[in-house]
Amino acid sequence: MKKKTTEKKGHVVAWINKAEWDQVLEYLYSKDCALQKYALHRISAWKGRFAHNTPIAVESTADLVRCQILDRSGKLDADDLVLLYGTALMRFVNLITERQQGKIARPLRRLASNLKIPEWIVNLRHDITHRKLPTLKWCRKGCKFVLEWLQQEYWSRQLGSGLAENWESQSEGEDGEDELQRQEDEFITRQKEIESYKKARELLISFEKEQFQTFEGFLEEDKQASLWPEPSADMSWILAQIKHFALESSEILIDALIEDGFMVPTIEQLVSLSVDNSDADPTAPHLSRVVLRFWLPLLKDLNSQLFIHLLLEKLFVELQQLSEDNQKHRSFYIAGWISEVILCNSNKNEYHYESKIQRKGRLKDKIFMKRIQLRWQQLLAACLNAPCVATPHLLQQILEDMEHPMPLDTRQKLLRLSSIYTQGADLGCDPPMEHSGQPSGIYTLESLHERLRVQSRRQVYMMHPGIVSDSRKALPERTEDFQEHLSPDVLAERAAELRGSPWQVCTDKVQWKNYPLGKVPGQSEDPSCLMVDNFSTIMVFDQQVEMENATQHNTHAGVSMPHRVTTDGLLWTHNDISKLKAGLQLF
Amino acid sequence: MKVQKSLPKTKQTSKRQQCNDKWFKSNRIAKNSDSSNLSPSTAMAKLEHRASNLRKDKPNLKRLKKGAKAVSFRPVKTPAATERTPSRPLTNGGAGGPEQGSDSDESQDWSSFAKSVLHQNGGGESMECQESCVSAKAAPGRIEEEAFVHCAERDYIHNRTVLVMQQGQTLCFRGKCLLSCLYGRVEVHGFTLEEGQQSYPLFSPSSHCPLTVTALGDSPNPSKTKKAGRLEAKAIVRKYLSTETRRRLLSEVDSDSCVILLEPLDTPLTRFLTSFPDLKELFGLSSRDIRESSAMLDTPLSGLGITPLRKTAGGMVMSQTYREALNGLVNACAEELDGCPVILVCGAKNVGKSTFNRHLINTLLNHTASVEYLECDLGQTEFTPSGCLSLSTVREPLLGPPFTHQWAPEHMIFYGQSSCETDLDRYLESLKSLWRLYNRETPIVINTMGWVKGFGFQLLVDIIRLFSISHVVQLSSGDKVMCPQLTPEFLRSSHGWQTHPPVQSALGEDNSGTHPAQRSYTLFRIHSEFEGAGRPGEMRHQRSNEQRDLALLGYFSQLQSPEPGPVRPLHCFTPYQVPHSAVAVGVTHCEVAPTHVLYTANASLVGLCCLNEKVSGRGSPVLLSQTPVCPCVGFGVLRGVDMARGLYFLVTPVAPSILRQVNCLLLGAVTLPNTLLTGQTGILGDPPYVTMDYSFELTGAGKLHVFKGLVRPGQMKNAK
Repeated sequence: MKKKTTEKKGHVVAWINKAEWDQVLEYLYSKDCALQKYALHRISAWKGRFAHNTPIAVESTADLVRCQILDRSGKLDADDLVLLYGTALMRFVNLITERQQGKIARPLRRLASNLKIPEWIVNLRHDITHRKLPTLKWCRKGCKFVLEWLQQEYWSRQLGSGLAENWESQSEGEDGEDELQRQEDEFITRQKEIESYKKARELLISFEKEQFQTFEGFLEEDKQASLWPEPSADMSWILAQIKHFALESSEILIDALIEDGFMVPTIEQLVSLSVDNSDADPTAPHLSRVVLRFWLPLLKDLNSQLFIHLLLEKLFVELQQLSEDNQKHRSFYIAGWISEVILCNSNKNEYHYESKIQRKGRLKDKIFMKRIQLRWQQLLAACLNAPCVATPHLLQQILEDMEHPMPLDTRQKLLRLSSIYTQGADLGCDPPMEHSGQPSGIYTLESLHERLRVQSRRQVYMMHPGIVSDSRKALPERTEDFQEHLSPDVLAERAAELRGSPWQVCTDKVQWKNYPLGKVPGQSEDPSCLMVDNFSTIMVFDQQVEMENATQHNTHAGVSMPHRVTTDGLLWTHNDISKLKAGLQLF
Repeated sequence: MKVQKSLPKTKQTSKRQQCNDKWFKSNRIAKNSDSSNLSPSTAMAKLEHRASNLRKDKPNLKRLKKGAKAVSFRPVKTPAATERTPSRPLTNGGAGGPEQGSDSDESQDWSSFAKSVLHQNGGGESMECQESCVSAKAAPGRIEEEAFVHCAERDYIHNRTVLVMQQGQTLCFRGKCLLSCLYGRVEVHGFTLEEGQQSYPLFSPSSHCPLTVTALGDSPNPSKTKKAGRLEAKAIVRKYLSTETRRRLLSEVDSDSCVILLEPLDTPLTRFLTSFPDLKELFGLSSRDIRESSAMLDTPLSGLGITPLRKTAGGMVMSQTYREALNGLVNACAEELDGCPVILVCGAKNVGKSTFNRHLINTLLNHTASVEYLECDLGQTEFTPSGCLSLSTVREPLLGPPFTHQWAPEHMIFYGQSSCETDLDRYLESLKSLWRLYNRETPIVINTMGWVKGFGFQLLVDIIRLFSISHVVQLSSGDKVMCPQLTPEFLRSSHGWQTHPPVQSALGEDNSGTHPAQRSYTLFRIHSEFEGAGRPGEMRHQRSNEQRDLALLGYFSQLQSPEPGPVRPLHCFTPYQVPHSAVAVGVTHCEVAPTHVLYTANASLVGLCCLNEKVSGRGSPVLLSQTPVCPCVGFGVLRGVDMARGLYFLVTPVAPSILRQVNCLLLGAVTLPNTLLTGQTGILGDPPYVTMDYSFELTGAGKLHVFKGLVRPGQMKNAK
């Protein structure tokens, strides 16, 4: 699950949305200098966002486009331009091959050829770095080529734009075949699945038929319930078949088993088994013994640790889906089966005083005898993920039975919360759990993790109960809580503290939780919506962080560098002026 | 309450006395003001309040339950007793008491005390660093698995654990908890906690060296016999545990054992951090703990959110030189005749500067109410998000890594980048203006950056010269010499970036008049011997960018409400608004076209700064033409820009009373943690600045990547 969330996470980039990216791409490769300039300016803003993470393709493109603009402006001499082009080209070749470089330096030529950059571009770079400077003509040619290369290799492929076209045009043949093959395979597996599912149903139906027959016969004979007859020969054969089937596809078998009409009996089936379920308590689902015994031969036969795990897992998944659909009958039985399975695994010794016969009867109804090691943490998570009226009941069973019980208070809180959430019957103030909260047994790393997880789950649960019902989907009520609601008192207090300053607490009636960072109500999707048409610039000097103690400052010795002067004399130091100049030239 | 007797003047110079008075004054106040707070209660409710306002509310350092204990000269029965002078009670403010009269030479007392503490600590620690230390051999070491059965008991009802530790025993752990000392004294990362003091939050996340709690034993008390001590300790245990659970523990308690109480810790910080999927296990075990299976999982502590570690997990390793330096500095703080010591800590990257700083500050806080801290390292800042230089007054011990104490410093200057190389002058000017604010009445620790070569070294030389450093601590690791030894002699002839040796500068301007002779200083050299010294951390959350993100997340966790409730993502908070024309916007780290500047600013981290100039832009945005050195009061996220109404929306934890002064928003190369943008839930539409489709496979899609130490084929042969 962790993996999924990381996969889902996007990358942080400098453009607001794809529209901004497309606009910049279009402008960069347009013939209009004004548009190209606009794109460069936008990239300057991107660099501010990216800080040190600007993609080198973006940076190289901007540098080269800048050269083109300056070239077309006609304001610079050929020699100036060669230097500009030279730097841009050299940086492009060096940076783009950097990633190809291993521990030991390899010739650029070879690295470039891996990237489909022709040798003459590399030679141009060599000329610029340590030979005679190339002519302007060659520089222009190189620049044009590299820009095209960047468009093809980076811009037009990035963000999915034109990605599909490119692939299709390039490698239609192989990919197409692969695709066909894959589709075929998929189809075959699906077919197989459908077939085995059918088979599973058939097997189960024949099992049911057989059982019904036995049952009817048994009803007629009116014997004691505990003396359910031994399986007939037919039955043995059916069971053997099912067992064999389960070896291969136990998953499909379980899927079929928990369908309506099998482990979840239909009303008609119940009638024919003469089970009256009308007065059953949905908060503490308990399978009627008849239903249990009906399936017992099969379950006993299939019983294995793996099978039980799978069964529980599927049952919980089913329960979770049901909790959304509100099918009472079905969820009652699903929960009942879960409860039954966990009960079988219970190691509680509360049967001290039962008679031998009682004991025998009890053991007879168990699907399996030996306690198996259930995956408690998964169970717990699954149980909390499938909230229904029976959840507190199941939860209590799980909690009491866990290999490494959680602290008593945690258990109680969890139970309490689940009963509040499911609005089931109150479990009474403190469920009568003996003070055996002391952790016992051997701890594994697993159990620690489990504990942590349970704790964090509990926290999450406490904070927004909606989340547990399905932590993967964003439920509507989940976000309800997030919005910060400032009380009128707090608002008034803040307003009072801000009075007289330009700052205010935003009092617009806005559901801020709906607006991600970087978006405000009414903001258009147009990528040019943040452009500043008018602005003013101010010059400020270094501020005295505080005015006192300034005298001590001058006693520091040996300051020979031209450092920022804040006193009289020149207003701007050399530094300031050069900075200003640089700024003016750029824009 | 005992009154401190005036010191016999005959033995001390007046200046000296003044100094010492200063040194102890605040402690005394602390003691008096808090004597009313007798409750040993460590209720969670209090914790919430305190953890959020950890330093705002209390000017004093520690709260004492009762008056300082009187001192006895009864030798303490410990294996280390031979080495220890009768130790003075470590009551932080318990400087008062009979010993003031009897032992008038305070400095001697001071140093002997310092020695005793250090030896003691050393005893416990040296067990772990496997250094041969005679005194330590007999002392009990780290509490191991089977021992927990006897010495710890969990109270399930209040979910807390009482732990009895014998003198010299240590508890090294991962996780987070609230520690209070119920009886005796324990030491954590240099800081001593004593019975009756407030409880302190401890953070030992997987990203850092685990914290260690060391039992120091009870301070000797003449009014009590051994038996009385034992009875008192037992009474305390009884108070905290129910009848059935305490029985075993009571047999362990002796007069010189320590009883500590551990409670779970849940603060807005921990809630906010662990709400991010990647940080869920931040307070869990590190991959190394798991690999070496050094965690003890089945102990009465596990339910509290902490996991004790076995001896195999190192804990902090203090080399001999480390302890000597610490010892020397503590002594210096007591002895310093003219003014308070100015301690500069330097060394290359990853040699343990910041750990040493914390240890030093904690140790000093045992004796003084506050220590000043000047941050000169832009990358790994202690109290602020990175990219900031700051001057802080530290009053609370630092019992966790930087992201757990993002406290607003007294003064801060926004630099905007995590290294200073782009503008060395602005860096030095910023530091100078911070230095001017230092009051020189408390000791100051100056942390420097790990860039100790070339210009970085020159800047270090400048800092030593400009800030009249009295003590230099130079850390190094391995055999590789990263930079020359900063001896006073060496400094006399070395060039800085702005300053030059007096001899040469005399040729130029007249420096002789303005500049007093270069003060000499004491140099402590520490050779770090911990594993991995000098190398960057490789584990999760150890890389510097992860640390930076953690610090920022720690900072923004202040927005979360102190009451337990849903963890709110940043976009859910009601923002502040301010007109475009009322605040200037500046980009510090690159040139951005002015008309496009909002594309950089939107949804970015901004430094909230104050200019003296009035900012008014006639309805349109105001841009800064260059980056000024100006005070910064905190950080915010420019949550959005309303172009139609001309408003900026800002989300910040800075209090409105301070925010009102802000008229400048500075942007830097330190950006918001990506998780804050990618992890936004419950929003309508797609989050801006996030894409699923960016492919890093394509050539040129990645950032500039610099290979250092590329070997030329020719060099390979030469090497052979």
